[in-house]
Amino acid sequence: MLQKQVLEQFQKIVGPENVDDGEVMTNAYSYNWCMEFVNSMEGKEPLPFSSIPKAVLLPSNVEEVQQIVRICNKYNIQFKAQSTGLGPWNQPSSDNCVILDLRRMNKIIKIDERNLFAVVEPYVSGAQLQAETMKVGLMVHMPGAGPQVSPLASATSMNGPGFTSPHTGHSARNVLGVEWVLPDGEILKLGSTGLKNNSDWYIGDGPGPSLRGIMRGWAGAKSGIGVFTKVAFKLFPYPCSTKFKLSGISPNYEFEIPDYMKLYVIDCKSYNHLEKVFLKIEEEEISFICSHLSSYGLGAIFSNSIESLLDKIPIVGMKVPLVVLIAARTKREFEYKQKVMSKIMIDFKLENVIGSKYNPNSLFYAEALRSNLGLHGFIATGGFQSSKGQCDTVKVCLKTTKMSIPLKKKYIKRGVIGNDFGEGVWITSYESGHYFHIESPTMFDQTDEKSVKGMAENMEENHQFDLIKHLGAPFFVEGDKMHDLFGPEMMNYHIWLRKIKKAFDPNGIADSGFYISAK
Amino acid sequence: MMQLNEEEYQMMIKRCLRCSICKWIPQVQIKSQKYATACPAIDLYNFHPYSGGGKIILALTLEMDRIKPSEELRDIVYKCTECGNCAIACKFLNTLEPLEIIMRLREKLVDAGYGPMPKQEAYIQAVKKHNNPYNEPHENRIEWLPDDIQIDPNAKVLYYVGCTSSYRRKEMAIAAARIMNEAGVPFNILSDEEYCCGSPILRVGEINTFRQVLNKNLDVIESKEIETVIFSCAGCYDTFKVDYPLYRDYEFKVLHTVEFFSELLEAGRLKLTKEIPLKVTYHDPCHLGRNAERYEQWDGDEVQIMPLISINIPPKPKKTGKGGIYEPPRSILKKIPGLTFVEMERIREYAYCCGAGGGVKSAFPEMAVNTAKLRIEEAEDTGAEIIVSACPFCSTNLQDGINSRGSKLKYFDISELLMMALGLEPEKLKQILGEAA
Ligand SMILES: Cc1cc2nc3c(=O)[nH]c(=O)nc-3n(C[C@H](O)[C@H](O)[C@H](O)COP(=O)(O)OP(=O)(O)OC[C@H]3O[C@@H](n4cnc5c(N)ncnc54)[C@H](O)[C@@H]3O)c2cc1C
Repeated sequence: MLQKQVLEQFQKIVGPENVDDGEVMTNAYSYNWCMEFVNSMEGKEPLPFSSIPKAVLLPSNVEEVQQIVRICNKYNIQFKAQSTGLGPWNQPSSDNCVILDLRRMNKIIKIDERNLFAVVEPYVSGAQLQAETMKVGLMVHMPGAGPQVSPLASATSMNGPGFTSPHTGHSARNVLGVEWVLPDGEILKLGSTGLKNNSDWYIGDGPGPSLRGIMRGWAGAKSGIGVFTKVAFKLFPYPCSTKFKLSGISPNYEFEIPDYMKLYVIDCKSYNHLEKVFLKIEEEEISFICSHLSSYGLGAIFSNSIESLLDKIPIVGMKVPLVVLIAARTKREFEYKQKVMSKIMIDFKLENVIGSKYNPNSLFYAEALRSNLGLHGFIATGGFQSSKGQCDTVKVCLKTTKMSIPLKKKYIKRGVIGNDFGEGVWITSYESGHYFHIESPTMFDQTDEKSVKGMAENMEENHQFDLIKHLGAPFFVEGDKMHDLFGPEMMNYHIWLRKIKKAFDPNGIADSGFYISAK
Repeated sequence: MMQLNEEEYQMMIKRCLRCSICKWIPQVQIKSQKYATACPAIDLYNFHPYSGGGKIILALTLEMDRIKPSEELRDIVYKCTECGNCAIACKFLNTLEPLEIIMRLREKLVDAGYGPMPKQEAYIQAVKKHNNPYNEPHENRIEWLPDDIQIDPNAKVLYYVGCTSSYRRKEMAIAAARIMNEAGVPFNILSDEEYCCGSPILRVGEINTFRQVLNKNLDVIESKEIETVIFSCAGCYDTFKVDYPLYRDYEFKVLHTVEFFSELLEAGRLKLTKEIPLKVTYHDPCHLGRNAERYEQWDGDEVQIMPLISINIPPKPKKTGKGGIYEPPRSILKKIPGLTFVEMERIREYAYCCGAGGGVKSAFPEMAVNTAKLRIEEAEDTGAEIIVSACPFCSTNLQDGINSRGSKLKYFDISELLMMALGLEPEKLKQILGEAA
């Protein structure tokens, strides 16, 4: 609960109906997905609850956010901002914290169709923006978390790989101008948004050194460096006709697959071969989706329940699968892309099982176009999280994959994580194959204490493994402990990160549980 | 699926991913930013616990004794129209049952002495006393019935009028009866032997009282050798069709008037002679649409195929709205000469709620009307001049939404429109055509 005088000041800012410090509300906001194994990793009871926030506030605009942050500074209360609020990163790390749920900030400020960018507030979902950009033949990048999450959160504060990454990039690299409430309440505008005359959102850098790296760096500050209230990011041409027609009843929709889409599911048989095929396809710049998944993951993206996964035997039996979706707007473009794929298939002696051994439901194509495939990861056990998270060359990503199999198998044998034969990874490419990312989605049962604890151990051991074997920094290097572990091995970046934190947040008001403290 | 048992409830409340899918219509169906959302409660009150997933979290925190039953909790749990849109969205990929959890959570609050809301308790008392939630004298139940309507006491078809059509939306009852007369369908009514179906009682978690009214109704109907019961009220229909069999089996067939009239039209027993050259949109009532799907028995086994991974053999049926009544009302409207039918963005199994259900209209009238205003805005955006539906509750609430928004839209029950097209209401038709011109 808040002190009465603080509550009254918050009420004045957002209106009494938009602040709540009651027992029910604050307890409900202490729950999140994966909190149980985060707690376990921190040696706490493996429950899905974090510290209870002192209150939850629903600001509606940047001025209100700014005033709240100033009050927080005045009374030495920390804040945690959340957009759609999925995942443990949204949780307070102490009981001296309020949550800013940015749900009421939900405007699409503009879609600049000519200059290919959109400006949005935190609670515009990927699907909402996609629906609007489709009207002008464009699409938006969405992370694997799905179309229901916030592209702003992904662009400013998280990482941001997605299934359509070969075509739509990476949230981290798509971000342009930003409006940012710093932890002391100042407003900072990045790039061309801050220009005195003719300001606009088309670029996020300069003049002077770019602050984009400071704002988000590799995996975002997870609210540890202020609140982002508007952001611009790149838009991309919609890959095919925007006619989007579904019939039937959820979830068994039939989708009228647009002309000029073709799916390839290929068994590359070995990681060495996969490396070459991956690079070749990406060099040719023809794919809309180009992902390596384990055979289990492959089955999952084509299934909407664990039972329906079992009839995907022809594909679930593959050794080293690659999924490629090509899409085109014209017949000529489509023919060209197919020709290139055909040549690659011949040159690399590959076979496409689609059309011969397997045909997915038409809904797969709809979900691919709407970035809904990542959520299929939940169908087996209900709980999953990724260890790893490197972005590197395809060689390093595959080295990580191979080297990590025995480690994962150890936990599978213990029965604490789901069995994907240790091969459960997702690798996708960016920017014509200039870099790739790998993560290792791991299934566990969040209601089973043994599984939760095992998952926590698995995460810990993976972090150590990545560190010792020089496999790069995983997604979840967050919080003091992890930065202190990885920093000394990586040019002491953690010292610089602390300096940044101190400069931007002198009072330590932005909750740093998933970032770094100034210490 | 079968109704959630306690063990499943305890398991499910630990499994919310907090992904927020429940706040939106199925992701692949989103057609605009404006009409992407699914849940009136979270749309209006914004804090996460108002959403379907948020209520699952409340159930868990309550079960784990992290919170106690309280008025604060009660107000959140009861600010929900139980429209079930969250459940449709969740079950696109997941196996949770948010609506079932909300219903059980209400039962638990009733058991703990915190539910239902005082206004809901008042209407439950009214049902106990007068057999209707409006506190109207029971003997006035057939006041709606005009003298010239033919009732056949020996008919195998029973028209179950329901409290709202009997006392508040009499035009619906009259229209239903006249259309059946026009088609030459002999039908009977229960007159003073008809009692509240119990829907408003069940929805707020008062199971014991619900059981009593259910038995009362079934006893009467079963004593009369009825083969088919026809409902013009979506709420009564849903309750008889979906909920009654969970407590007591019955043999007769249940049909909503839209199904029945659509069949009569197909069979050529109703002739649409009058043109209605207007643009019309249709609102799917939750009780007639996604929620009007029966629970299916499942006697299968849960088999662990490897550590942590179990499958159901055979797969457990999920209620996904597939058993809803979507096509018949549309087919009726499309057959009306001159009528242009236009769809809203949120339709069928993911239709947005009118805002009246789950006891909200009585306990939180402001929430009900604010939701109706959102739905009316969506209807206006189609360019329609008329919005029709097939539920007296939606009727009252959407009409309130029209008034409160100052909308130019006109609301009619689908059977009223059908009457006009049948030439049974020339004056009314002339009037609406005149107003439209
Ligand atoms: C099935 C699944 C798959 C996933 N796959 C991917 C993936 O492929 N790629 C990927 O990048 N991520 C992935 N994730 C993680 C996911 O990206 C994030 O959970 C999601 O992008 C966050 O969006 P959100 O709207 O929920 O943001 P939130 O969960 O609301 O926020 C995420 C973080 O950003 C902070 N934050 C949010 N908004 C603001 C703001 N306005 N100002 C300051 N800080 C803010 C929050 O405090 C939090 O730390 C996955 C998650 C799931 C469940």
